[in-house]
Amino acid sequence: MRRKLVPAITAVVAAAAVGLLVYGLTQQGASRALDEALAAHRQPAAPEAARQLPVLDRVGRTDASLEHWRGKVVVVNFWASWCNTCTAEAPLIEQAQRSLAASGQGTVIGIDFKDISSDAQSYIAQHQLSYPNLRDLDGSFATAYGTIALPETFVLDRRLQVVGIARAEIISERWLRTMIAKAERT
Amino acid sequence: MTRRLVLVAIAALALAAAPAAAVTQRTSLSAIEPQVMCVTCGIPLEVAESAAADQERQFISRLVAKGDTAAQIKHQLVLQYTEAVLALPPDRGFNVVFYLLPVGALALALALLALLLPRWRRNRRAGPPPGDGATPSATETARLDADLARFER
Repeated sequence: MRRKLVPAITAVVAAAAVGLLVYGLTQQGASRALDEALAAHRQPAAPEAARQLPVLDRVGRTDASLEHWRGKVVVVNFWASWCNTCTAEAPLIEQAQRSLAASGQGTVIGIDFKDISSDAQSYIAQHQLSYPNLRDLDGSFATAYGTIALPETFVLDRRLQVVGIARAEIISERWLRTMIAKAERT
Repeated sequence: MTRRLVLVAIAALALAAAPAAAVTQRTSLSAIEPQVMCVTCGIPLEVAESAAADQERQFISRLVAKGDTAAQIKHQLVLQYTEAVLALPPDRGFNVVFYLLPVGALALALALLALLLPRWRRNRRAGPPPGDGATPSATETARLDADLARFER
Protein backbone atom coordinates (compact mmCIF):
# COMPACT_ATOMS: atom_id res chain seq x y z
CA MET A 1 0.00 0.00 0.00
CA ARG A 2 2.78 2.39 1.04
CA ARG A 3 4.77 1.49 -2.04
CA LYS A 4 1.91 2.67 -4.26
CA LEU A 5 1.12 5.79 -2.22
CA VAL A 6 4.31 7.73 -2.98
CA PRO A 7 4.20 7.31 -6.80
CA ALA A 8 0.46 8.11 -6.71
CA ILE A 9 1.02 11.36 -4.80
CA THR A 10 3.94 12.27 -7.07
CA ALA A 11 1.81 11.59 -10.16
CA VAL A 12 -1.06 13.74 -8.84
CA VAL A 13 1.29 16.63 -8.02
CA ALA A 14 2.99 16.36 -11.43
CA ALA A 15 -0.38 16.24 -13.22
CA ALA A 16 -1.54 19.33 -11.30
CA ALA A 17 1.66 21.19 -12.21
CA VAL A 18 1.30 20.29 -15.90
CA GLY A 19 -2.39 21.28 -15.81
CA LEU A 20 -1.49 24.64 -14.28
CA LEU A 21 1.17 25.20 -16.95
CA VAL A 22 -1.24 24.36 -19.78
CA TYR A 23 -3.91 26.64 -18.27
CA GLY A 24 -1.39 29.48 -17.97
CA LEU A 25 -0.25 29.07 -21.56
CA THR A 26 -3.79 28.95 -22.95
CA GLN A 27 -4.79 32.05 -21.01
CA GLN A 28 -2.00 34.10 -22.56
CA GLY A 29 -2.59 36.15 -25.67
CA ALA A 30 -5.69 37.97 -26.76
CA SER A 31 -8.82 36.26 -28.02
CA ARG A 32 -9.41 36.85 -31.70
CA ALA A 33 -12.85 35.20 -31.76
CA LEU A 34 -14.57 38.43 -32.89
CA ASP A 35 -12.07 39.03 -35.71
CA GLU A 36 -12.39 35.43 -36.91
CA ALA A 37 -16.19 35.65 -36.89
CA LEU A 38 -16.09 38.87 -38.95
CA ALA A 39 -13.61 37.30 -41.37
CA ALA A 40 -16.10 34.44 -41.82
CA HIS A 41 -18.78 37.04 -42.70
CA ARG A 42 -20.64 36.55 -39.45
CA GLN A 43 -21.68 39.34 -37.11
CA PRO A 44 -20.90 38.22 -33.58
CA ALA A 45 -22.82 39.60 -30.62
CA ALA A 46 -20.93 42.24 -28.67
CA PRO A 47 -19.38 40.45 -25.66
CA GLU A 48 -20.66 41.27 -22.19
CA ALA A 49 -23.25 43.72 -23.54
CA ALA A 50 -25.37 43.27 -20.43
CA ARG A 51 -22.50 43.78 -18.00
CA GLN A 52 -22.90 46.83 -15.78
CA LEU A 53 -19.85 49.10 -15.77
CA PRO A 54 -19.27 52.16 -13.60
CA VAL A 55 -20.19 55.34 -15.42
CA LEU A 56 -17.57 58.05 -15.79
CA ASP A 57 -19.87 60.78 -17.08
CA ARG A 58 -22.91 61.81 -19.10
CA VAL A 59 -25.26 58.90 -18.41
CA GLY A 60 -27.07 60.19 -15.33
CA ARG A 61 -26.63 56.96 -13.36
CA THR A 62 -23.83 55.19 -11.54
CA ASP A 63 -23.67 52.02 -13.66
CA ALA A 64 -24.69 51.20 -17.21
CA SER A 65 -24.30 48.42 -19.76
CA LEU A 66 -24.21 48.53 -23.56
CA GLU A 67 -27.79 47.19 -23.46
CA HIS A 68 -28.79 50.71 -22.41
CA TRP A 69 -28.13 51.77 -26.04
CA ARG A 70 -29.70 48.75 -27.80
CA GLY A 71 -31.61 49.98 -30.85
CA LYS A 72 -28.90 52.50 -31.73
CA VAL A 73 -25.66 52.19 -33.64
CA VAL A 74 -22.88 52.11 -31.03
CA VAL A 75 -19.22 52.88 -31.58
CA VAL A 76 -17.29 51.37 -28.66
CA ASN A 77 -13.92 53.07 -28.25
CA PHE A 78 -11.39 51.74 -25.70
CA TRP A 79 -9.11 54.50 -24.43
CA ALA A 80 -7.15 55.77 -21.42
CA SER A 81 -5.79 59.15 -20.41
CA TRP A 82 -2.23 57.72 -20.30
CA CYS A 83 -2.48 56.52 -23.91
CA ASN A 84 -0.81 58.95 -26.33
CA THR A 85 -2.24 57.28 -29.42
CA CYS A 86 -5.73 57.72 -27.96
CA THR A 87 -5.06 61.46 -27.75
CA ALA A 88 -4.21 61.52 -31.44
CA GLU A 89 -7.43 59.65 -32.28
CA ALA A 90 -9.75 61.60 -29.96
CA PRO A 91 -10.78 64.37 -32.44
CA LEU A 92 -11.86 61.79 -35.02
CA ILE A 93 -13.93 59.85 -32.48
CA GLU A 94 -15.57 63.07 -31.26
CA GLN A 95 -16.37 64.00 -34.85
CA ALA A 96 -18.12 60.63 -35.29
CA GLN A 97 -20.10 61.25 -32.10
CA ARG A 98 -21.31 64.65 -33.32
CA SER A 99 -22.38 63.12 -36.60
CA LEU A 100 -24.24 60.24 -34.87
CA ALA A 101 -25.88 62.60 -32.38
CA ALA A 102 -27.00 64.94 -35.17
CA SER A 103 -28.64 62.12 -37.12
CA GLY A 104 -30.04 60.53 -33.96
CA GLN A 105 -28.87 57.15 -35.25
CA GLY A 106 -26.45 56.27 -32.50
CA THR A 107 -23.65 57.20 -30.16
CA VAL A 108 -20.03 56.63 -29.32
CA ILE A 109 -19.44 54.90 -25.96
CA GLY A 110 -15.97 55.39 -24.53
CA ILE A 111 -14.56 52.61 -22.38
CA ASP A 112 -11.94 54.09 -20.10
CA PHE A 113 -9.40 51.29 -19.56
CA LYS A 114 -7.51 50.92 -16.24
CA ASP A 115 -7.36 54.62 -15.62
CA ILE A 116 -7.40 57.09 -12.74
CA SER A 117 -10.88 58.65 -12.77
CA SER A 118 -9.70 62.23 -12.12
CA ASP A 119 -7.16 61.97 -14.97
CA ALA A 120 -9.87 60.55 -17.22
CA GLN A 121 -12.19 63.45 -16.38
CA SER A 122 -9.43 65.93 -17.22
CA TYR A 123 -8.82 64.12 -20.52
CA ILE A 124 -12.53 64.34 -21.40
CA ALA A 125 -12.60 68.05 -20.59
CA GLN A 126 -9.36 68.72 -22.46
CA HIS A 127 -10.55 66.98 -25.63
CA GLN A 128 -14.15 68.20 -25.23
CA LEU A 129 -15.57 64.72 -25.63
CA SER A 130 -19.35 64.84 -25.75
CA TYR A 131 -20.11 61.11 -25.58
CA PRO A 132 -20.77 58.89 -22.54
CA ASN A 133 -17.88 57.01 -20.99
CA LEU A 134 -17.88 53.86 -18.87
CA ARG A 135 -15.00 52.55 -16.77
CA ASP A 136 -13.27 49.19 -17.17
CA LEU A 137 -11.49 49.14 -13.82
CA ASP A 138 -9.62 45.84 -14.08
CA GLY A 139 -9.53 45.49 -17.87
CA SER A 140 -11.73 42.38 -17.91
CA PHE A 141 -14.32 44.00 -20.20
CA ALA A 142 -11.56 44.80 -22.69
CA THR A 143 -10.28 41.23 -22.43
CA ALA A 144 -13.71 39.99 -23.56
CA TYR A 145 -13.16 42.03 -26.76
CA GLY A 146 -9.62 40.69 -27.17
CA THR A 147 -8.26 44.16 -26.44
CA ILE A 148 -4.70 44.18 -25.08
CA ALA A 149 -3.49 47.49 -26.50
CA LEU A 150 -5.09 50.90 -26.89
CA PRO A 151 -6.85 52.41 -28.68
CA GLU A 152 -9.28 49.92 -30.20
CA THR A 153 -12.70 50.57 -31.69
CA PHE A 154 -15.70 48.31 -32.32
CA VAL A 155 -18.71 49.37 -34.39
CA LEU A 156 -21.97 47.70 -33.31
CA ASP A 157 -25.28 47.64 -35.15
CA ARG A 158 -28.69 48.26 -33.53
CA ARG A 159 -28.83 44.63 -32.32
CA LEU A 160 -25.44 45.13 -30.64
CA GLN A 161 -23.67 42.91 -33.15
CA VAL A 162 -20.10 43.69 -34.12
CA VAL A 163 -19.82 44.88 -37.74
CA GLY A 164 -16.35 46.46 -37.66
CA ILE A 165 -13.15 46.28 -35.62
CA ALA A 166 -10.16 48.64 -35.59
CA ARG A 167 -7.36 47.12 -33.57
CA ALA A 168 -5.23 50.25 -33.75
CA GLU A 169 -5.60 54.01 -33.89
CA ILE A 170 -8.17 55.05 -36.50
CA ILE A 171 -6.33 57.33 -38.87
CA SER A 172 -8.92 57.53 -41.60
CA GLU A 173 -12.36 58.99 -41.11
CA ARG A 174 -13.50 56.96 -44.11
CA TRP A 175 -13.20 53.60 -42.32
CA LEU A 176 -15.34 54.82 -39.43
CA ARG A 177 -17.94 56.36 -41.76
CA THR A 178 -18.14 53.16 -43.82
CA MET A 179 -18.56 50.97 -40.73
CA ILE A 180 -21.22 53.26 -39.25
CA ALA A 181 -23.11 53.19 -42.55
CA LYS A 182 -22.86 49.38 -42.56
CA ALA A 183 -24.17 49.24 -38.97
CA GLU A 184 -27.07 51.53 -39.89
CA ARG A 185 -28.05 49.26 -42.78
CA THR A 186 -28.15 46.03 -40.76
CA MET B 1 2.27 57.02 49.54
CA THR B 2 5.47 57.03 47.49
CA ARG B 3 4.24 53.96 45.63
CA ARG B 4 1.01 55.74 44.74
CA LEU B 5 2.93 58.76 43.47
CA VAL B 6 5.05 56.52 41.26
CA LEU B 7 1.93 54.83 39.85
CA VAL B 8 0.31 58.21 39.12
CA ALA B 9 3.52 59.38 37.40
CA ILE B 10 3.64 56.23 35.25
CA ALA B 11 -0.04 56.67 34.28
CA ALA B 12 0.60 60.34 33.39
CA LEU B 13 3.58 59.36 31.24
CA ALA B 14 1.53 56.68 29.47
CA LEU B 15 -1.23 59.20 28.71
CA ALA B 16 1.29 61.71 27.39
CA ALA B 17 2.85 59.07 25.17
CA ALA B 18 -0.49 57.90 23.75
CA PRO B 19 -1.04 60.73 21.21
CA ALA B 20 2.55 60.37 20.02
CA ALA B 21 1.98 56.68 19.37
CA ALA B 22 -1.23 57.46 17.47
CA VAL B 23 0.70 59.51 14.92
CA THR B 24 1.25 57.39 11.84
CA GLN B 25 4.49 57.54 9.97
CA ARG B 26 4.34 59.25 6.60
CA THR B 27 4.69 56.99 3.61
CA SER B 28 6.46 57.56 0.32
CA LEU B 29 6.21 56.54 -3.31
CA SER B 30 9.19 54.18 -2.92
CA ALA B 31 7.50 52.49 0.06
CA ILE B 32 4.25 51.93 -1.84
CA GLU B 33 5.73 50.87 -5.19
CA PRO B 34 6.77 47.32 -4.15
CA GLN B 35 3.34 46.71 -2.62
CA VAL B 36 1.33 47.39 -5.77
CA MET B 37 1.26 46.20 -9.36
CA CYS B 38 1.45 48.08 -12.61
CA VAL B 39 -2.09 47.24 -13.71
CA THR B 40 -1.39 47.23 -17.43
CA CYS B 41 1.98 45.43 -17.33
CA GLY B 42 1.23 42.78 -14.67
CA ILE B 43 4.54 43.34 -12.86
CA PRO B 44 5.32 45.19 -9.61
CA LEU B 45 5.12 48.95 -10.07
CA GLU B 46 8.68 49.45 -8.80
CA VAL B 47 10.10 47.70 -11.90
CA ALA B 48 7.49 48.84 -14.43
CA GLU B 49 8.23 51.27 -17.25
CA SER B 50 5.16 52.44 -19.13
CA ALA B 51 2.85 55.42 -19.51
CA ALA B 52 0.25 53.71 -17.33
CA ALA B 53 2.87 52.97 -14.65
CA ASP B 54 3.93 56.63 -14.67
CA GLN B 55 0.31 57.67 -14.23
CA GLU B 56 -0.02 55.29 -11.29
CA ARG B 57 3.14 56.75 -9.72
CA GLN B 58 1.83 60.29 -10.17
CA PHE B 59 -1.45 59.31 -8.54
CA ILE B 60 0.41 57.79 -5.56
CA SER B 61 2.68 60.84 -5.30
CA ARG B 62 -0.38 63.13 -5.18
CA LEU B 63 -1.86 61.09 -2.33
CA VAL B 64 1.50 60.99 -0.49
CA ALA B 65 1.72 64.78 -0.79
CA LYS B 66 -1.82 65.03 0.56
CA GLY B 67 -0.62 63.14 3.64
CA ASP B 68 -2.51 59.89 3.08
CA THR B 69 -1.23 56.77 4.85
CA ALA B 70 -0.07 53.65 3.00
CA ALA B 71 -3.36 51.92 3.81
CA GLN B 72 -5.39 54.89 2.54
CA ILE B 73 -3.36 55.05 -0.67
CA LYS B 74 -3.82 51.33 -1.30
CA HIS B 75 -7.54 51.72 -0.66
CA GLN B 76 -7.69 54.54 -3.24
CA LEU B 77 -5.78 52.40 -5.73
CA VAL B 78 -8.23 49.52 -5.20
CA LEU B 79 -11.12 51.93 -5.86
CA GLN B 80 -9.47 52.94 -9.15
CA TYR B 81 -8.29 49.53 -10.37
CA THR B 82 -9.94 46.84 -8.15
CA GLU B 83 -7.90 44.50 -5.95
CA ALA B 84 -5.85 43.41 -8.96
CA VAL B 85 -3.60 46.38 -8.18
CA LEU B 86 -2.38 44.84 -4.91
CA ALA B 87 0.86 42.85 -5.09
CA LEU B 88 -0.32 40.66 -2.23
CA PRO B 89 -3.94 39.60 -2.65
CA PRO B 90 -6.17 40.05 0.43
CA ASP B 91 -6.43 36.86 2.52
CA ARG B 92 -10.12 36.15 2.00
CA GLY B 93 -12.31 34.25 -0.44
CA PHE B 94 -10.52 32.22 -3.10
CA ASN B 95 -7.33 34.19 -2.42
CA VAL B 96 -6.86 32.12 0.75
CA VAL B 97 -5.64 29.35 -1.60
CA PHE B 98 -2.55 31.41 -2.46
CA TYR B 99 -1.62 31.55 1.23
CA LEU B 100 -2.51 27.93 2.01
CA LEU B 101 -0.82 26.40 -1.05
CA PRO B 102 2.81 26.95 0.10
CA VAL B 103 1.93 25.64 3.59
CA GLY B 104 0.24 22.60 2.01
CA ALA B 105 3.23 21.98 -0.28
CA LEU B 106 5.60 22.18 2.69
CA ALA B 107 3.42 19.78 4.73
CA LEU B 108 3.33 17.36 1.77
CA ALA B 109 7.12 17.52 1.40
CA LEU B 110 7.61 16.88 5.13
CA ALA B 111 5.15 13.96 5.04
CA LEU B 112 7.02 12.43 2.07
CA LEU B 113 10.33 12.85 3.89
CA ALA B 114 8.90 11.25 7.03
CA LEU B 115 7.68 8.35 4.92
CA LEU B 116 10.82 7.84 2.84
CA LEU B 117 13.68 8.71 5.22
CA PRO B 118 13.27 5.68 7.52
CA ARG B 119 13.20 3.39 4.46
CA TRP B 120 16.40 4.91 3.04
CA ARG B 121 18.13 4.65 6.41
CA ARG B 122 17.05 0.99 6.77
CA ASN B 123 18.37 0.20 3.29
CA ARG B 124 21.73 1.89 4.00
CA ARG B 125 22.19 0.03 7.31
CA ALA B 126 21.44 -3.31 5.67
CA GLY B 127 24.23 -2.79 3.06
CA PRO B 128 24.30 -4.46 -0.39
CA PRO B 129 22.52 -7.81 -0.59
CA PRO B 130 24.72 -10.95 -0.96
CA GLY B 131 25.35 -12.24 -4.46
CA ASP B 132 24.51 -8.92 -6.01
CA GLY B 133 26.95 -9.38 -8.87
CA ALA B 134 29.79 -7.30 -7.41
CA THR B 135 32.09 -10.37 -7.16
CA PRO B 136 32.34 -12.39 -10.39
CA SER B 137 31.75 -16.13 -10.21
CA ALA B 138 34.39 -18.66 -11.34
CA THR B 139 32.66 -19.13 -14.70
CA GLU B 140 32.47 -15.37 -15.27
CA THR B 141 36.18 -14.96 -14.37
CA ALA B 142 37.12 -17.71 -16.81
CA ARG B 143 35.05 -16.11 -19.56
CA LEU B 144 36.58 -12.69 -18.87
CA ASP B 145 40.11 -14.14 -19.02
CA ALA B 146 39.29 -15.85 -22.32
CA ASP B 147 37.91 -12.62 -23.80
CA LEU B 148 40.92 -10.61 -22.70
CA ALA B 149 43.31 -13.22 -24.15
CA ARG B 150 41.41 -13.02 -27.45
CA PHE B 151 41.77 -9.22 -27.56
CA GLU B 152 45.49 -9.37 -26.76
CA ARG B 153 46.16 -11.66 -29.72
